[in-house]
Amino acid sequence: MKPLKIATLLALGIACVIRVADGQETRITLEAAKDQGRSKSRYLKETKSAADTSDAIPKANVADFQKSVVSILTKNCVECHGPKKAKGRLRIDQLNPDLLTGPDVEKWREVYSALSKSEMPPAKEPDYALSDTNRAIVVDWLSVELNKASLVRRSSKEHSSFRRLTKYEYDYALQDLLGVPYPLANKLPPESTTEDGFKNSSELLQISAMQFETYREIALKALKRATVSGPRPQPVTYIISMQHEMDNAGKKAKSFETSGASKGKYKNQQHLLNRETGMGIQFSPGTAKLQAGAVAGQTPAVSPVVLVLPGENELKLNLDRFLPDDGIMRVRIRAGRSAMNPDEYASLRLSLSAHTSNDANFTQVISQRDIPVTAPGDKPEFIHFDIPLSDIQRNPFRKLTTTFPRRDEFLHIRNVSNATGGEERLKVLIDYIEISAPFYEQWPPKTHTDIFIESKNKGDENVYGRELLNRFLRRVWRRPVTAQEVDKFMALFAKYRPEFSTFEDAMVEVLATALATPEFLYLTQRATTDEKKLPAKINEFELASRLSIFLWSSIPDDELLKLAEQGKLRKPEVFADQVKRMLADPRSRRFSQNFVEQWLGLDGLNSVTHVPAGPLKDAIQEEPIAFFEEVLKHNHSIMDFIHSDYAVVNERLAAHYGIPKVYGPHFRNVPITPQMNRGGLLTGAAILAMNSDGKDSHPLKRGVWMLKRILHDPPPPPPPDVPEVDLTNPEILKMTLKERIADHRNKAACASCHSRIDPWGIAFENYDALGLFRTQIKNKPVDATSELFNRQTLAGMDGLKQYLLTDRQDQFALAMVHKLTAYGLGRPLTFGDRAELDNLTAQFRRRGDGLRDLIHLIVSSNLFNSK
Amino acid sequence: MNIKSMSLSRRTFLRGTGVALALPWFETFATGAPGSDETPKRFLSVYHPDGVGIPLKSDPAWKDWSWFPRGGEKNFELTKVLDVLQPLRDDITIYSGLSHPVARQVHGHSNADQYLTGAPIGGSGPYQNSISLDQVYAAYAGDFTRHSSLVISTNGGVGGPRGAQTQSFNREGRPIPAMNKPKEIFDMLFVTSGKDAAARLARSKSALDLLVDHTRSLARELSSKDQETLKQYLDAVRDTELKLAKAQKWIDTPIPKVDTRNLHLNADPKEAKLYFQTMYELIYLAFLSDSTRVATFQLGRENGEGPHDLLSLAVGLGAAHGLTHEVKKPNGWKNLGTYNRYQAEEFGRFVQRLKDTPEPTGKGNMLDNTFAMHGSASSSFHLSRNYPIISAGGKNLGFTNGRYLKFGKGNDENQAGAGIDTDAGWQGKVEVEELPLAKLFVTILQRLGIKTNSFGGYSGTLSRV
Repeated sequence: MKPLKIATLLALGIACVIRVADGQETRITLEAAKDQGRSKSRYLKETKSAADTSDAIPKANVADFQKSVVSILTKNCVECHGPKKAKGRLRIDQLNPDLLTGPDVEKWREVYSALSKSEMPPAKEPDYALSDTNRAIVVDWLSVELNKASLVRRSSKEHSSFRRLTKYEYDYALQDLLGVPYPLANKLPPESTTEDGFKNSSELLQISAMQFETYREIALKALKRATVSGPRPQPVTYIISMQHEMDNAGKKAKSFETSGASKGKYKNQQHLLNRETGMGIQFSPGTAKLQAGAVAGQTPAVSPVVLVLPGENELKLNLDRFLPDDGIMRVRIRAGRSAMNPDEYASLRLSLSAHTSNDANFTQVISQRDIPVTAPGDKPEFIHFDIPLSDIQRNPFRKLTTTFPRRDEFLHIRNVSNATGGEERLKVLIDYIEISAPFYEQWPPKTHTDIFIESKNKGDENVYGRELLNRFLRRVWRRPVTAQEVDKFMALFAKYRPEFSTFEDAMVEVLATALATPEFLYLTQRATTDEKKLPAKINEFELASRLSIFLWSSIPDDELLKLAEQGKLRKPEVFADQVKRMLADPRSRRFSQNFVEQWLGLDGLNSVTHVPAGPLKDAIQEEPIAFFEEVLKHNHSIMDFIHSDYAVVNERLAAHYGIPKVYGPHFRNVPITPQMNRGGLLTGAAILAMNSDGKDSHPLKRGVWMLKRILHDPPPPPPPDVPEVDLTNPEILKMTLKERIADHRNKAACASCHSRIDPWGIAFENYDALGLFRTQIKNKPVDATSELFNRQTLAGMDGLKQYLLTDRQDQFALAMVHKLTAYGLGRPLTFGDRAELDNLTAQFRRRGDGLRDLIHLIVSSNLFNSK
Repeated sequence: MNIKSMSLSRRTFLRGTGVALALPWFETFATGAPGSDETPKRFLSVYHPDGVGIPLKSDPAWKDWSWFPRGGEKNFELTKVLDVLQPLRDDITIYSGLSHPVARQVHGHSNADQYLTGAPIGGSGPYQNSISLDQVYAAYAGDFTRHSSLVISTNGGVGGPRGAQTQSFNREGRPIPAMNKPKEIFDMLFVTSGKDAAARLARSKSALDLLVDHTRSLARELSSKDQETLKQYLDAVRDTELKLAKAQKWIDTPIPKVDTRNLHLNADPKEAKLYFQTMYELIYLAFLSDSTRVATFQLGRENGEGPHDLLSLAVGLGAAHGLTHEVKKPNGWKNLGTYNRYQAEEFGRFVQRLKDTPEPTGKGNMLDNTFAMHGSASSSFHLSRNYPIISAGGKNLGFTNGRYLKFGKGNDENQAGAGIDTDAGWQGKVEVEELPLAKLFVTILQRLGIKTNSFGGYSGTLSRV
C-alpha cells in the first residue's frame, strides 16, 4: 500500500480559525474596494521614485541573532558542538550568523533541520533540553534567514535569456515551420519547473545526449512526414449514402412511422428517416463498403433520407482492414440539426476502436476537438476531420493473414450534445459520409513544396540545393544566412547524395541536421562589439524571435522576419501594430495557455485524484485560461483576476457553479451576482480543487498558493524530511483529529511559520475540494474567518478579496509584472531588474491596469529589448 | 571512462545550478566497451499466458495438480506440476501473494501487457503503458553489450493494446517488437555484418562534425556566460559521439562463434518441443557470448488461438488456452497441470544449462550471475491475482534460493479464486491481501546494480527475498 501522506502542518491552520475578528470593518462592495484601493497606490503618487527599490534587497538580520539567538545556542548546544567536543564536526559557536554573505549556510540548514524536527538537543541530555519558546525563537530566525539566503543566491546571479526552447515551444516551432498541424515532439521528456512555476526559465533548460538524439530522431521523422516522393498514392474511399442504405435495407429492415405510435420508441435510438414520407427504419450499418475507384470530395444532391443521431449516440462503422498506415484520413460528414433552439448544441466527435482479444479492446478519441453542427436539417453542411493515421492507436493485427485476433478497425461518429428529453429534442441528421485516406489537398502537398520549392533551377542539384537550403535555414535560424553557411550544408549533402536514390531523400537528411543546430534549438543573442556598454540591445532578429516565442510559443513568421530584415521592426508604430497583430492571431492562444498554466501551476490538477477525467475536469482546467483570454482581449484591469462581476464559463462549469442559463461547450462571459460566490481567479474550481488533498479543502496548500502565485511572496520551504503523521502508530490512530492537531501544535518549531501561511488558506474554507460553495462542514457552520500575521482580519473569501483590493493592489500589480516579465524573458529576474520592474509597474498602473496594455509595455521595455 | 564518476559529475553539475532537479529519464552515462571485464549480471523473464491450475482443496485433483507447493518456506513440497524442478530445488524460489494492484480486477486476457510494467492499462478505452522491468535494466546494462536486450516470443511482433505479444516496453510505454523466428534471431545475434549500420553511423558522424563546427562558430559570437550554456549542448553532442564510437567498435568486433549443435533454426511452434528448446538455447548462447545481458521470452499470447498456441502439443494436448477453459471436464486439472509442468521442465532445463556452465569471465557458474524468472499474470481462470512466479539463480547478486515465499494475508493455501472457471472470478471482490509485484521488481533492480527505490509508482523492496 502506498504511504498515506498527510501534510502534518495543515492541521495547525484549522486551529487558528477560531479567532473571530472583534471589530469588523464596514463592508463595501468589491467594485468600490477596487476604486478605494487604487487611490491608495504609491505608484500613482507623483512623488514616486525608483530610489527605494534597494529596500527590496534583503539584508542579514544579525541583530536578532546577537540579541536572542546566540545566548540560547550557547546555553543548549555549545557544550557538545563547541570547543570541547565538536560532535558531528559541528562547531556551532563558530558559525557565521550572516547567512546571506557568510560561508555557513549549509551548516545552518542542518541546524535548522535538527531543531525543527526536535532531534536536537537529544532526549538523553535533559540538562540541555530546549524550551518550546526558545526553540521557536531559533527556528523562526533561521527559517527567515535561510529563505532570504536562497532568494539572494537566486537573484544576485546574473541570468541570461540565452536558452533552449521548451518542449512545447520546440513542438510549435516545428509545426509552424513545416506546416504540420499536430504534435510532433511527444517523445521529448517533460520540462522541470522553477520555484516560480515556470518551465521556460534559462536556469533549468538543460540538454543531455539522449535528448539531443531525440531531437534528431523527431526532426527526421517530421521532415519525412512533410515531404513526399513518387506518384500520388491511390486513396481508399468509403462512401455511406443514407439514401443508398435505406434502398438497400429494402424489406428486411423493420420500418415504422415516425409520427405514429412507435415515435417514442425510436426517439432516442439512431435510425434512418425519410424526411419526406416520415418512414423510418432501424439501422446498424455493419461493414462500410470500400468504393473501388470512388472519388472523394463529392457533393451529391441533398437526400431526404437521413441518419438520425440523437445525443450521446454513435454511429459505429466497420472499416475492415483497408485504411493505409500513413497519411491523413479525411472524414467528411454532411450534417444538420433537427431543431434550431439556440440553447441546445450538438457536435461530432470521432473515435477509433478495435478488438485485440476476446474481452479486451481499445477505443481512442482521434479528433482533436468536437466540431459543432450548426446548419439546419434541411440545408445540411459538410464538416470534416483530418486525422493523421500514423499518430493514432491502430489495430496492429490489421495485416494478419489469419482472422484471429480480429483485423478490422471501427470508426465511431458520436453526437456530443446537451439536448435532453422533450418531444423535439435536438438530433443530428446526417445524409452523407465520406472517408478517404491518404487525403491530399494537392499533389505534391504544400508541406512538400514549401521545402522543395518550385524553381527553374530544379534541373541542377547544386544550384537548386543551395536555393532551398538558403530559404529553409533562414526560417530555421530566424535570420539571414551567409553563403559560407550554406556551403557547409551542401558539403554534407554531397557526402550523403551517393547513398540515396533521390535528391529529396538525401536532402531530407541534411535538413534534419539543420534542425539539430543550436540556433534552432536555442534562443540566441549574439554579443556585439561594444558589449561593454550595458545594457546591450538585442538585434531586430533576436527581438522578432523573443516576441514570437513570448506571444506564440514559436518561431517568427515571414512578416516579422521581413520587417527585421528591413530594419523596421523597432519603429514604435510598426512594433505596436505587430504586437496587436500577434495577439489577434490564433497562435496567441498558446501564450494564454502556457503562461496561465505555469503562472497558476495548473499541472497541480493532475496530481490530485478526486477530479475524474471528463467534461467537468476539462472545463475546470480551461476556465482560468479562458478567463485570462477574456481579460486580455478586452484589456480589462488585472484586478479582475482578484474579483470580477462576471464569470467565464461553459455549460458544464456553469452547472457546477449553479449559474443558470448557460448552454453549449464554449466559454463565454456571463454576468454573475454576489450570491453566486464567484468572480475572478481565486474562486475558480481549478485553484480550489488542485489545492485540496483529494478529499477535502487544504488550507495550507491554498495559503501557500496565494502567497506564491498571487502575491509573489513565497513562504519559506518546509524543513527537509517533514515527518509524516504515522498512521500505523496505534497511539496516534487513537486520537481524534482535534487531538492530532493539538499534538502537532505542541511542536513549537512548526507554529511560527504556519501562522504566516494558514490564515490565507482559511479564508477559502467556504469552498470544498471540488470548489463548490458550502456553508457547513460536517453539520457545523463553516468558519472562514482568520487573522493574518499583521493582525488583519479576513472574513472569508469576500474579506480576502476586499483586503487584497483595498490594501494590496500595488503588490499584486508588481507581482503580475514580475511573472509576465519573467515568462517573457525566459529567465529568473534578479535584484538588478528591480528598478525596471518598479518603473514598469508605475507606467502600468498609470495606464489603468489593463492586461493588454501591460503586454505592450513589457515588450517595449528596456528589459525586453536588452540581452 | 569510469561509470560512477561520470554520472556523479553530471548530477553534481545539476545540483550546482542551485535547483533540485530529477533527471527526467532513466539516463546512464556509462560508456561500456567490448571486453569490459566485469562479471555480467543477467536478467531473464519468461512469461506464459493463461495462468495455472488451482483446484479447490475439496477437489480430488488438488493434491497432485494444484500449481503452488504445500508447506512452509523451507519445507515446502512440490506437487506434480512442479516436481520436475525437484533437482533444482536449491536453485529456485517460488512466490505467492504477489500481483499488480491496478490489474486485480481486469480481465486476464489483457494481462500480458502489464506483467513487467505494472501500468494501469485497464480493459477498454484509451491505452497507455509504461517502461518494463527488463528495459529499465537494459538502459544500463545495454552499454556493455552488442545488443541492449533480446526480446522474443512465440507469436512475434508487438501484438495489440491489451493483447501484447511482447513483454518489453520502452520508456514511452511503447511495445518493443519481439522476434519469433529462430533463424532470424540467430542471424541477428551471430551472423549480421552490420553494413547498413555502418553506413548510418558514417552519416551520423558527418552530421555531428558539421554541428560541432557550426556550434563553435556560434560560440565565438556569444558572451562568455552564454558560451557556458552552449557548452552543455556541445557536451551532449560529444556524448553522442562517444556512443557512436562504441557502436563502431561493435561493428569492428568479430561476431562471437557459438556452438550450434543444439539449434534447430527452422523449427516452428507446431514442432513445439524443438522450437521451445531452440528458443531457450538462443537465449543461452546470447548470454554465454555476452551479446546481451537482458532477455524476455513470451510463450503464446493471452486468449491464444491458432498455430502459435500449440506449445501444448509437446505433451500431446490441444491448444493451450483451451486447457484453462476445460478444467472441469474429465482430466481437466490434470491436462492443464501437465502443460504447466512441461513449461517448468523446459525452464528447468535452461536453468540447469546455466548452472552447468562456468562463468566465462568471472567466478561461479552462469546461473550464479543470472536472475531468471518464470511466471504469469493470472493464477486461476482469467484471474489477475496471486501470480504464479518462479525465480532461479542470482546467488552472486544476493538471492537465497530453496524457498517458497508467501506474501500477503488470508490466502495461505491459495484457495482465493480456486476452482473457478467463469468470469465471476475476476469480476468478484478482492478478498485477500496481496503485495505489489513492483516491490519484487525494485529488489531485482537494486541487486542488478540499479540505484532506484521505486518501480511503477511503488517504492520499497520486498522483505525476505
